[in-house]
Amino acid sequence: MGVLVFISVLLVAACGLIYELVAGTLASYLVGDSVFQFSTIIGTYLFAMGIGSALSRYINRGLANRFVWIELLLGVVGGFSSTLLMLAFAFTQGFELILYALVVVMGVLVGLEIPLLMRIVKHRYQFRDVIAHVLTFDYLGALGASLLFPILLVPRLGLVRSAMLFGLINAAVAFWSTYLFANQLSRTRELRVACLLVLFGLGTGIAEAKHITATAEDNIYADEIIFARDTPYQHLVLTRFKDDLRLFLNSHLQFSSRDEYRYHEALVHPGLAAVPAPRRVLILGGGDGLAVREILKYPQVESITLVDLDPEMTKIFSSNPMLTRLNDNSLLSPRVHVINSDAFPWVASNADSFDFIVADFPDPTNYSLGKLYTTAFYRAVARHLSAQGFIVVQSTSPMFARDSFWCIAETLKQSGLQTYPYHVYVPSFGEWGFVLAGTHDYALPKSLPAGLRFLSVDGLSALFQFPPDMAPLPMPANHLNSQVLVRTYENDWKDISH
Amino acid sequence: MKLGRRKFLGLGSAALAGLSLKSEQKIKGSFVNDSFQMGHLLRDRAAFPAAKHIEKVPVVIVGGGIAGLSAAWRFRKRGFTDFVLLEMNPQAGGNARWGENEVTAYPWAAHYVPVPGPKAIYVRELFEDLGVLKDGQWEERYLAFSPQERLFLYGRWQEGIEPAVGLKQNDRDQFQRLENLFSEFRRSGAFTIPLELGLSSKFQHLDRLSFSDWLRQQGLDSRLLHWYVNYACRDDYGALASDTSAWAGIHYFSSREPEEKGPLTWPEGNGWITRRLLERVGANIRTGQMVHRIAQTRRGASVFAGDVEFQSEFVIFAAPMFLAPYLLENFPPLHDFAYSPWLTANLTLERYPDSRGVEPSWDTVFLDSPTLGYVDAMHQSLRTHIDRTVWTFYWALSEGAPAQNRRLLLEKDWTYWKEAILHDLERVHSDIRQCVSRIDIMRMGHAMIRPAVGSIFSEERRRLSRLDGRILFANSDLSGISIFEEAQFHGVEAAQKVHKKLHG
Repeated sequence: MGVLVFISVLLVAACGLIYELVAGTLASYLVGDSVFQFSTIIGTYLFAMGIGSALSRYINRGLANRFVWIELLLGVVGGFSSTLLMLAFAFTQGFELILYALVVVMGVLVGLEIPLLMRIVKHRYQFRDVIAHVLTFDYLGALGASLLFPILLVPRLGLVRSAMLFGLINAAVAFWSTYLFANQLSRTRELRVACLLVLFGLGTGIAEAKHITATAEDNIYADEIIFARDTPYQHLVLTRFKDDLRLFLNSHLQFSSRDEYRYHEALVHPGLAAVPAPRRVLILGGGDGLAVREILKYPQVESITLVDLDPEMTKIFSSNPMLTRLNDNSLLSPRVHVINSDAFPWVASNADSFDFIVADFPDPTNYSLGKLYTTAFYRAVARHLSAQGFIVVQSTSPMFARDSFWCIAETLKQSGLQTYPYHVYVPSFGEWGFVLAGTHDYALPKSLPAGLRFLSVDGLSALFQFPPDMAPLPMPANHLNSQVLVRTYENDWKDISH
Repeated sequence: MKLGRRKFLGLGSAALAGLSLKSEQKIKGSFVNDSFQMGHLLRDRAAFPAAKHIEKVPVVIVGGGIAGLSAAWRFRKRGFTDFVLLEMNPQAGGNARWGENEVTAYPWAAHYVPVPGPKAIYVRELFEDLGVLKDGQWEERYLAFSPQERLFLYGRWQEGIEPAVGLKQNDRDQFQRLENLFSEFRRSGAFTIPLELGLSSKFQHLDRLSFSDWLRQQGLDSRLLHWYVNYACRDDYGALASDTSAWAGIHYFSSREPEEKGPLTWPEGNGWITRRLLERVGANIRTGQMVHRIAQTRRGASVFAGDVEFQSEFVIFAAPMFLAPYLLENFPPLHDFAYSPWLTANLTLERYPDSRGVEPSWDTVFLDSPTLGYVDAMHQSLRTHIDRTVWTFYWALSEGAPAQNRRLLLEKDWTYWKEAILHDLERVHSDIRQCVSRIDIMRMGHAMIRPAVGSIFSEERRRLSRLDGRILFANSDLSGISIFEEAQFHGVEAAQKVHKKLHG
């Protein structure tokens, strides 16, 4: 029996430490500043344990009964602690208050355990043996828990289920204590029923934990995350709020399904509809298939080559039902050829000719992306242009990044092309700009494909008018060896954000 | 159970091994391109095989570095193909050699050529030939991409190598004054590339003192300024400013217009130029041919390589000058030719080290490091996503006497140099050992001519560059500074002289 008592001590100590670690880790994850979180939580927890130990002297009768109740209570509070904290963070303003209240409650309960247990067993051993054995197993339990937590529990079970598992162990200790200390207990049957109820509750919790986490996480990220993946190239997140799907690449919004038609109609039609008989089209970037969807509205286009770096991106936009509904299964069209390759080397080494070329890259936020907005790149692209063809370049916002927009236009000009800049309003982006470029004069198209939601023949000429606050600025061209655009872009956005 | 002491220790180390999971991956590598063994055979006057075969060929070029390749380029451009080029190493290129692995091509030594000024007409002609210069425009893909250079100092990065952080007003003033002095020298027209075109005795006094002494004479004593000029001298000459002729130090800063355009560079550095030259003259090149004797004959000169005697009318000696006394009969010992020992290493990286938000540059330098930093071979890639790369790490062993450093190069094993390189990089990239999978090291005892005090206006040097007999010299040693343009200039000039003599 002695051994069983000390195993209880070991388990109870492990549980106590796990709750503390769960609280510290969760606070670090959610609020940040792990040094501060762990320091204050450990301090508060130990202090509360001291309070618990001090309170233990006021418990004089029914020691074993009280011990069982404390274990049960701790099982419930500790077991659901991480669930409670996640929900608190997601749904309330007072996360810190709830965090420290919980830490104090758990600390007090843990502080009560060992003194009570020592008094329960003191008649069986000499005082010095009780102290030595109990403390030995107490510390052993702590060691075990502290090793298990980072190595096995967090990676394998996660925080919610780890806490519940140890709540279950607390409840199990309570349950077997009703046998261990049977001779010192009253109303034993009642206790056992309570134990079984708690065990059942926690068991169900473990089974349902996934759902709980999902609910809380969804609320942390404003909209429901329906897809998130780290590819070797980027961090891809897709969110949904009611009928609005949004794609973020490295936390930059790429489109909102509510108004992306404005962007993609404007990207494709002013240029493509002006090409007399377009047969071959090239899209650089644009792995979402939305520009392809617009291009497929031209029956005379025989082939569309899409070069996008990230296979994950084109894969999910060819397979996920929500996304294929958005792009009308465009990537699965037999006219479309998807090539997962880096755009610049592909353009530099390929020799095909195209009647319309779309460059739809993320904004030039760094030197790597900046290479795709240089005279060297545009010259390489222009070599692929057929005599009647045009290139269109997504060129960031002429309103928020006016210098950058006109820098891109100048870069195309210095690459030996005639340029025709235009802009549209896309609610989720704001005022957005494109530069159409070619080796010959551009005339507005006389007709557009049927079924457009935004563009009309009558409205086209307005796109090419720039009001004074977006009017052209004299800017240098962007070269590989200067990359002025990256610096310009950074300054443009620095001026409006902070 | 009682644990024996030995068993306990065993368990202890097993536990430690378990704890070191995160430590470095195994880094492979070796010394590569060693050539000192061949040099030592010559130095020790080893016995070489007697000639068994005779080949008659009008011109022999000895040495396949940039000077020799440029001579060959000039011959073929003139339609003359009756020559051979003998290269001792298995690979031609000399200081413009390159390597290649599954990640990228990379340089073994020289890795860029500054955009040539108007006087460097041969360089401009070559670059037009290679498609680097088209209709007066430099091909953008061959100009160093931005961001080009960065310096790590005081725990942070800055753009450019000239220190711009932590300067006091006095430092700023001194940098400005120095720049003004250089502008004046630039305007004088005496500091040109090629060097020979501007060389004027008006500035000969600057060859009689060291660059650092000259700076002090000008009242320039800023620590950061001295670090900067020292870096420049170590980088271009493999020597400290105190071991460099003031004339050469000034030439470094005053011979080029301050250009906005980056230098011309390629993933494999100047190896790219070597490759293009080999495409044009490769048919005349014989590698692995160590010349062990050159003898004047009545109607020309004989070149002995292996068991072949090449009987020729003219020899262009395009090997480094220090080999001349060992190869040429009755050649007096040289006095004014000192050489800097170097070590370069190519590190294969499976990933870039954590950058703390700073994007990698072409050239990275650490303030107060004894080494010269590294160049990123993937920087000139057109790709937007780059995971693996090769860094070329440069280290001119400039502290102390060259002979001593040459000994050190040979004495220490690969592990020693590998650790020295990693220690240097670790000061800035704490996770470098987790990134590197391979380090290959190239040791060069006589990597480049050193423009020591008195060397630029040396009589010996002038005499050798004016030689006009059956054996002509062509190498950058004749200029006293080891740069691409000088090697090319002497190679082309020698070829033109020989061509004229042969064809009138």
